[in-house]
Amino acid sequence: MNMASLSLKAITKRFGQILALYGVDLHVDHGEFCVLVGPSGCGKSTLLNIIAGLIQQDEGSVLIDGQSVDRLAPRERDVAMVFQNYALYPHMTVAQNLGFGLRMRGVPKQIIREQVLETARILGIEDLLDRKPRGLSGGQRQRVAMGRALVRRPRLFLLDEPLSNLDARLRASVRLELRHLHREIQSTIVYVTHDQVEAMTLGDKVVVMRQGKVHQIGRPETIYSRPADTFVATFIGSPEMNLYRGRLLHKDDRTHFQGAGFSLDIGGLQLNLGESEVEVGIRPEDIAIGQGGTTALKAKVEMISNIGSEKYIHARLGQESLTVRAPKEAAFQPGQVVPLTIDPDRVHIFHEGRRISWSAGSCSSSR
Amino acid sequence: MSRERLEKIVIQILRVMGLVVFIAIVAFPFYWMILSSFRSLGEILLKPANLGLDIRTINLHAYYEVLFQHGFLRYICNSVYVSVVTVVLSVTLATVGGYAVTRLRFRGREFMSYSILLIYMFPAIVLVIPLYVMFSRMGFRDSINLLILVYLAQTLPVGLYMLRSYFQTLPPEIEHAGLIDGCSRFSVIWRIIIPLSAPGLASVALYTFMIAWNEFLFAFMFLDTPEKFTLSRGVVQLAGSVHLSKQLVMAASVMVTLPILVFFLLFERYLVRGLTAGAMKG
Repeated sequence: MNMASLSLKAITKRFGQILALYGVDLHVDHGEFCVLVGPSGCGKSTLLNIIAGLIQQDEGSVLIDGQSVDRLAPRERDVAMVFQNYALYPHMTVAQNLGFGLRMRGVPKQIIREQVLETARILGIEDLLDRKPRGLSGGQRQRVAMGRALVRRPRLFLLDEPLSNLDARLRASVRLELRHLHREIQSTIVYVTHDQVEAMTLGDKVVVMRQGKVHQIGRPETIYSRPADTFVATFIGSPEMNLYRGRLLHKDDRTHFQGAGFSLDIGGLQLNLGESEVEVGIRPEDIAIGQGGTTALKAKVEMISNIGSEKYIHARLGQESLTVRAPKEAAFQPGQVVPLTIDPDRVHIFHEGRRISWSAGSCSSSR
Repeated sequence: MSRERLEKIVIQILRVMGLVVFIAIVAFPFYWMILSSFRSLGEILLKPANLGLDIRTINLHAYYEVLFQHGFLRYICNSVYVSVVTVVLSVTLATVGGYAVTRLRFRGREFMSYSILLIYMFPAIVLVIPLYVMFSRMGFRDSINLLILVYLAQTLPVGLYMLRSYFQTLPPEIEHAGLIDGCSRFSVIWRIIIPLSAPGLASVALYTFMIAWNEFLFAFMFLDTPEKFTLSRGVVQLAGSVHLSKQLVMAASVMVTLPILVFFLLFERYLVRGLTAGAMKG
């Protein structure tokens, strides 16, 4: 299988006064599935267009297999792209849509026909080949768009929010298929999405971006369990991580986090930060509720969202609000005061927005 | 009867009346023209108010006479030549130019884009005298190709503007897909833009054809030799000639009007779509 590695070196792009991308560095290995994720307007689509050669970067360099492609036109870069709105050629049949790239590259007709058929078979669209795009459903169009990219066996696949125009059920099933497909063809993929679920489930590597900057690059597990800063911490994960601003206090060899109206014992951690302003993050599933805790924390239940498989308890902790993930059997009433248990090892600490790496007895900045 | 109902009926009556009046104003002269062209001069003079058309008495002699004795065969050829060449040039240039101002980024793009219609704001009558003098001095007057140049200058701005609006409705992603699939800019235009813009191109072609086919002022000023006359110029020549034969003028007029009418009916759908496409987003 034809696949390549991709490197971006300090990519910067301005649109007038707006800085769309600022010093983006990224390396994607052979056969790796890399997901760019971030809120809309973070520059992830611009980055994809720069890789494709549709937009020229102001500074920096794009390398495919170690070779700079900055001076190559999109057609010379041997990449394929799937667009959010599919961008099928409306005046061509599905077969012509699939074969267009091969035809433009002068591939003999017989081979085009074979490859189009094979791709259509992989995607299960053989019986649509003679139809025009306007006669297809959203899901079918999406498949054709994928097929148009697949058929050429390019070095690099670029996917720009390919699932966002599908309804929720279809999205979940296509997501699984994409995962299978990637395992089968082992190609290098750069995938743009604003959906953290897609990012976490699809990516071998996840790149979290905001306002033209990369905030963190890592495996999905790392992004989730060790977010580099408060933006990544709150952007990834649903419901959102609980994040509180306060001070660290040292008392009798133990460290306490003093938040607004509550205090949290985070154990024997040695911080050389002194008594400083920090932010503390706790994921909703890292809080045990309703058991006699050692931290002597108490929260007042305000509201309960039942999503079927589990319950989200919205409570008040001091002057802050708190979300806790509870099993579906949990029976709490609004107004009830419940004890909380928080494992100090699961607490994330951020200083000036950046994560503080720490384990019992030591700490260092992750930067 | 409720007020709403009364209102509805009144509106309905007004609508029908409006249509009838409008059709009468537009269609009656046309009907009169065709009717007269089928009759002999004697008939017209004897019964000028006869509006009935008797199929048995249709007389095509006037057409024969106009075509072969008054040189209209030649005029038709001239008009076809002028119109077709103008249409081809105008559509080609408007496509390339319209694409450039919509999609490519270059210095002065905005100004170009907005100044297109500025050219159109000079009325023909203001231009015709200076052009007449200029071309006379240069010795280019009395040339059919000169006419093509003038018509092109007249129709290209509107054609550019129409196609620009049309191109803006095409999603750029389709072109990006083409560029990645292996197209150059020109093959994107040829293989993707042009097939998708068929309605826009058809409306520009029709518009240009109508102008070039019907135009009289410049043809009247610039053409002296009868062999070079276009149809509209020929009709006026005929109408002004000594022996005024109404049926001949009418037959000639039918020949001017008919092609436009046929084209319009054939392409009307495209024309309307092409003209409104720019107004709607997405």
